[in-house]
Amino acid sequence: MSTTLNIAKREFRSYFDSPVAYVVICLSLFGLGGVFFNYHGGFWQANRASLEQLFVQIPRALSSIVVPVITMRLIAEEKRSGTLEMLITLPVKDAEVILGKFLGAWGLVLVLIAATAIYPVMMFGSPWNLGSLDSGPVAAGYLGLALYSAAAVSIGLLISALTESQIIAFFVTFVVLFFLHLVGAGAVLSMLPQKAEYALAFISFDTRLSSFMRGLVNTRDVIYFISITFGCLIGSFWALERRKWN
Amino acid sequence: MIEATGLTKRYGAYRALDRVSFEVRRGEVVGFLGPNGAGKSTTMRILTCYLSATSGSVKVHGYDVFDEPLAVREKIGYLPQRAQMYGEMGVLEYLRFVADVRGIDVTSFNKRMRNIVEVCGLGTVLGKDIRQLSHGYRQRVGLGQALIHNPPILILDEPTSDLDPNEKAEVIEYIKEIGKDRTVILSTHNLAEVEEACARAIIISKGRVVADGAIDEVRARGGRVRYQVLVDEKAALRGTAPSSADVEAALAKIQGAISVKELPTDDRCHGFTLLGNKGSDLRGEIFKLCVDKGWVLLEMRRDIQKLEDVFKSLTKGDEVADRLRTAAPDEDEESEDEGLEDDESEDEESDASEDEESDDDADEKDSKKEDA
Repeated sequence: MSTTLNIAKREFRSYFDSPVAYVVICLSLFGLGGVFFNYHGGFWQANRASLEQLFVQIPRALSSIVVPVITMRLIAEEKRSGTLEMLITLPVKDAEVILGKFLGAWGLVLVLIAATAIYPVMMFGSPWNLGSLDSGPVAAGYLGLALYSAAAVSIGLLISALTESQIIAFFVTFVVLFFLHLVGAGAVLSMLPQKAEYALAFISFDTRLSSFMRGLVNTRDVIYFISITFGCLIGSFWALERRKWN
Repeated sequence: MIEATGLTKRYGAYRALDRVSFEVRRGEVVGFLGPNGAGKSTTMRILTCYLSATSGSVKVHGYDVFDEPLAVREKIGYLPQRAQMYGEMGVLEYLRFVADVRGIDVTSFNKRMRNIVEVCGLGTVLGKDIRQLSHGYRQRVGLGQALIHNPPILILDEPTSDLDPNEKAEVIEYIKEIGKDRTVILSTHNLAEVEEACARAIIISKGRVVADGAIDEVRARGGRVRYQVLVDEKAALRGTAPSSADVEAALAKIQGAISVKELPTDDRCHGFTLLGNKGSDLRGEIFKLCVDKGWVLLEMRRDIQKLEDVFKSLTKGDEVADRLRTAAPDEDEESEDEGLEDDESEDEESDASEDEESDDDADEKDSKKEDA
């Protein structure tokens, strides 16, 4: 386990050794703040002490830019530059490499998600104290975001393990995550036959996240995100092992 | 220490390694030689468990690379070709990371670092980021990470590629220093480095071992003796000074001379390289020839063939296409059943003899061309 944590620590720190982490965190907070407070009237028009709008927008922001940027380099860049050979010929298991990289990247996304807590703290605590906030949906919302981000990062990791090109990894991750959001949109679902609608709603991130936003922690949704995460981690492990035989 | 038996690696129809077998004993510094694409890096990667062989087995320090990869990796220090490290990390930070992954505690790390800084000459760059370093210093950091756990076996894959001559000389010095108390495999196509740093050479060509032995033994495999002859072109003891064609024709007629090639020289002398058979000594014949003709012999030198010549003759025609043939499954199974050692030695012999013949032909053609 210590090897995994060493790899995760190095991966996590590497984001802060370059401008990636700072740019991603600052731009995301700035963009999210703008959308949360101003998009379609934003928080003020809703006239409710609720962060629902924030929990709708965060996954979209993460999927559209943050997760693809963070995960595109995880394995693809190491393969291209040759550092992977150096890493893998140390006494480490392939599974530890995958898990370490996953934890490093997920850690950065969790830092970003945690940073968004600044909005409820400032609005409903100090300095503005707009009223009392129902903490149940907020806690559930953040739990949903943590689970969703694990799934999204693992998808990005798998795609990064399948290619040597960061650009390809970025675009494919973006498309896959965008698809998983899009298929949950009401407008899309309403155009489809009922069986297809049910199937797409089943795999949609938006559908799965909606119950968390309402403060409901549904076991099926938890298992869905955990299943995607484990499945993609196992897929990434196979993709890394593939080098031995190809 | 390292025992490879019948290693074969295929990439689809391409056969990168073809039943490679060799053994490296404790404390040996072995040069693993071969032209580009001969299979050196593939072998190194199999030894370090980065790749798996299609067939065959390797034991490193008694551990099987397939069954016990972690135990193998703990026993080896590996510097891959063009050692790539995390550029954004500092040198000390990177070495600390490698030590952490290898489970080395802080006290042992500090103790090892004193030795590594001294042996690899890293004192002045410890605080710098790796991306700021020259190729030479990066290689030194690569060597440092390979030595951090004081491994009994060191595997270095072309450690001097991309380095300038001064940096190459420094790295070779480090390898000689490091090789005093551990087993080292130095993969390279630079023959001078092997002659300088290694006691033994394994030459690989077309994915097969074509020579394996002490450097002198490998040199002797060329089966030739080289003579360098310089004759004055301005003056003679009798008559007129000889022309280049006269000297070449006369040298070619000496009994036992396999080939004669003119050397580039200044306008004061004619220079020729003459190849004779292994064990022959044509110096007397050459001297008599000059005396008979009245030529002034300025210089004559006899030496056993250089490792470079042996390397060329053994690896000549190492076309990748040779290995693109897809062996029929039956043929492969048959050959594997028949015993790898026999097959390999036959292959080696046939390869070597073919190459020698082709080399002879080429030399003779050269000589004839020049005659014409």
